[in-house]
Amino acid sequence: MANTYWMPILLLWPLVAAAATFALRSVRRVLWFMAASVWALVPGAAALVMQVQGSGSVSAADGWLYADALTAFHVIVMLIVFVLSSTYAVGYFANDKSAALTVRKARRFAALWLTTSSAMMLVLFSNNLGIQWAGIEATTLVTAFLVCTHITPASLEAMWKYLIICSVGVALAFVGTLFFAAAMERAAVDGASTLLWTDVLSHAGELDPILLKTGFIFVVVGFGTKVGLAPLHSWLPDAHSQAPAPVSAIFSGFLLNTAMYCVMRYLAIVSANAALTLWAHELLITFGVLSMVVAAAFIVFQHDLKRLLAYSSIEHIGIIALGLGVGGLGQFAALFHVLNHSIAKMTAFFAAGRLGQQFGTNDMRRFARVLTTAPVWGGGLMASLLALIGVAPFALFMSELQLVRAAIAQGRVAAVVLFFAASTVVFIGALRLAIDAAWGGETAAPAGPPATALDKVLVAVPICVLLCLGLYLPEPVQALIAQASSIVGGAR
Amino acid sequence: MNVVAEFVLVVLVLTDLAVLATSRLTTCVRLVAVQGAVLGLLPLVLRWPTFDLPIGTLAVSALALKGIVFPWLLLRTMRLVEIRREAEPYIGYTLSMVVGVLLVAVSAYLSTQWLPVSAGNAERFFLVGALAMILTGMLVVVSRRKAISQVLGFLMLENGVYAFGVVFLRETSLLVELAILLDVFVAVLVMGVAVHRIQRGFEHIDVDQLSALKG
Amino acid sequence: MNHFPIEAFFAVLAGMALAPLNLGVINKVKAFFAGRKGPPLTQLYSDLAKLAGKGAVYSRTTTWIFRFGPAMSLATTVLALAMLPLGKTSALVAFPGDFVVVAYLLGLGRFFVILAALDTGSSFEGMGASREAKFSAIAEPALLLSLLAVLTVAPHEGLTPISAASSALFGAAWLAAVPVLCLVAVALFIVLLAENSRIPVDDPNTHLELTMIHEVMVLDHGGPDFALIQYGAALKLWVTSCVLVAVLIPWSFSLTGANALVGMIGISALAVAVGLVESSMARLRLTNVSQLLTAAIVLAGLAALLALSGALS
Repeated sequence: MANTYWMPILLLWPLVAAAATFALRSVRRVLWFMAASVWALVPGAAALVMQVQGSGSVSAADGWLYADALTAFHVIVMLIVFVLSSTYAVGYFANDKSAALTVRKARRFAALWLTTSSAMMLVLFSNNLGIQWAGIEATTLVTAFLVCTHITPASLEAMWKYLIICSVGVALAFVGTLFFAAAMERAAVDGASTLLWTDVLSHAGELDPILLKTGFIFVVVGFGTKVGLAPLHSWLPDAHSQAPAPVSAIFSGFLLNTAMYCVMRYLAIVSANAALTLWAHELLITFGVLSMVVAAAFIVFQHDLKRLLAYSSIEHIGIIALGLGVGGLGQFAALFHVLNHSIAKMTAFFAAGRLGQQFGTNDMRRFARVLTTAPVWGGGLMASLLALIGVAPFALFMSELQLVRAAIAQGRVAAVVLFFAASTVVFIGALRLAIDAAWGGETAAPAGPPATALDKVLVAVPICVLLCLGLYLPEPVQALIAQASSIVGGAR
Repeated sequence: MNVVAEFVLVVLVLTDLAVLATSRLTTCVRLVAVQGAVLGLLPLVLRWPTFDLPIGTLAVSALALKGIVFPWLLLRTMRLVEIRREAEPYIGYTLSMVVGVLLVAVSAYLSTQWLPVSAGNAERFFLVGALAMILTGMLVVVSRRKAISQVLGFLMLENGVYAFGVVFLRETSLLVELAILLDVFVAVLVMGVAVHRIQRGFEHIDVDQLSALKG
Repeated sequence: MNHFPIEAFFAVLAGMALAPLNLGVINKVKAFFAGRKGPPLTQLYSDLAKLAGKGAVYSRTTTWIFRFGPAMSLATTVLALAMLPLGKTSALVAFPGDFVVVAYLLGLGRFFVILAALDTGSSFEGMGASREAKFSAIAEPALLLSLLAVLTVAPHEGLTPISAASSALFGAAWLAAVPVLCLVAVALFIVLLAENSRIPVDDPNTHLELTMIHEVMVLDHGGPDFALIQYGAALKLWVTSCVLVAVLIPWSFSLTGANALVGMIGISALAVAVGLVESSMARLRLTNVSQLLTAAIVLAGLAALLALSGALS
């Protein structure tokens, strides 16, 4: 394993930037600085990804930090989401006439935002399972205050639910981690006390199956709370709908995936122990299908746009869990879906945020003719909603198709049937509202502010990427995802 | 040794049941403080004849944080928010107590499933206690109306997880246990601020009334 | 048995003779804490003598049950006394499973007192009777679970009489069982307070019928019947203290009579403790009384769980 110094840099830079925001004096400067700091991560991350491509895996800090293909893939997704969301946040808050940010609030927002990115990267890079868990808990604590940026009774309620439910869940996940640690100790493995993922993976075959099983259940239930798997998802719609749009974008775009990443790491360990693979897959499929069904049931009567998008996130997380549970090609499809969903959901939240500002409410029944009053953002909303419900040729259709094919090949008929049922319900439910919003409503609706070039870029780029990925998956991307999925499947 | 272990278990379980039965929040916080102090001594008790500096530092820091700092943080928040009593919880106090004992019985059963046959009696007792604390903590989070009580439940849950860690990991990864302690510290701090925020926004901290967001 | 169990017989006699003195101890302690001199220790003996000489008045609404109640409750209490150990002695009548019989003998006595109270046809007595029934119903599982815990934690083979179990609990065995015994002691103490209508469950000195539980049930008895009731109450206190004291004593002596003596000292000490509790607490609200008794069940349940898991491991 080659050594790298990029990981510590990527971890520390956001913290330095967060501290630096306190020296800035105006809201605009703070937000631009925040966006610029996130942009500054891109070269470092690109270098890291190149290194991983080159040598398979890299490590730092005596093996405590570790990056392989799975990490690199998630870093790419994370930076896409963060960079675009940070850029969007500048315009979003500038446009926010009703609840303008004060300098103090802006500084706090920027500091929390940057600390979140550092905490998420800690989760991605950490090889020590305990530190990884601490990173997840840190993300919960830091993002809680991002949720209630604008203090209203509803946002406080959402923040509290999120904080308590996710903290309890993550505590349970830690019990799961302890089970894995105990299994390592029982097997009298060298270096069991440091609980490095690479060590646990290489000794997976020798570990006590009962402890692994129990640990995995705790991990899925615990991290599943953070991921938003039903029935542990009750915090999700509230947090997403009450947080400002950039925050919702990173929630759905990457925070859920951070927790899913942890589940994937544990799934890799369990998959490496041949006796348990099937059982673990069944567990994930059950949770995945349940999430899809629950999400579909709730989407039908949503009319708050952001809550609708939140339930859609639950549905897609269910799809990803289903893919992980199917295994093999299903895991490839799941990871591809992670990328697609993050991009699409992020765009949808961008549009939802700006349209909400324009109409003063998130209630879709009040949206009138968005395609004419706000062509850029309205178009963005429509396109991303179409992508999210699985319309071809957007990339989500492709990843879902691959997933279904893998599931059928394995004979998972019940899961596929439920998948189609849930997807259809979501399709109809979301489309009905979207069409109303796009073309319905009074003709004398107020036109929104003219879209800036930045807005056009923020909408066009993700939609184009989704179209391109749907039509043609470039070779390097495919290779990276394939490598990542083999890691999830238990390969070294 | 076994007698001491049994005693510790009884103290832990009794403090849990007492928290379930009390409506006075200051008493509850003090009970959790006692629980935390006993837990701080747990690593020493488990490894009684052998004593080394890392275990000692862990015990001292756990004692300080769990026995003194966390209760102090909670009491400070309570003073800021001016709350003293819990309202009638979703599950009444008497029923909560009975459910608490049932949870102890469940923990006793589960511990037989998870410990290897070679494990000593002391380990078994502590595992039962740890599991009981985790389950009771979750019960408190779910059934209480005041936000502060939910934070208390979270503390009990984390106490249980800590005890779990001490029991299950023989060569304790100190860094991990210290990470938990630090994390709980920050979590309680954050939650305290959050509760204060809620009270300023709502003028009460009745979680029961935080139910505007539905569906 | 080849030899006559002198010690057990002596224990029963001592109980029957000294029970009223015990009650006197409680009153003296309460008076001491109130800064008074209080009634003499032998007050109850004088009261009983006085009551025995009086005549009784029976209402026309009552039946034979009213006259039968006090006698029955005393009879059951004496039988229970015969089955319980004084300190580390063995009991006069002992057989496997006798702890259930003891609990239900006490219940039988209570049943007849309640019937006698209902027999008067007065609403006050009925109210007291219903409260008494409710609280003893809640206290019963606590009693049974505590006795079960003691049986399980004592060194034994199979089911043994309760007195054999408690006499086997000394020295190392006692030390090993201390956690369980602590829980059992607290649970049994609460049950004792409930069964004997002591503060914090019931105030024996109150004169307000609406707040009474036990006193109001015996409001209509007079003369010799009331003497039986008073004596029965004193004996019940002795009886309910027996197991508690037997369980808490850590030593066993081989000198004949020493165990019984230690037991008697223990029972007096327990009476002092009851007096202390009565002096330092106020009576609980009726809703909180059931909470207190449920706490006793919980403690006893915990003790039984611990004892069982210790026995199984």
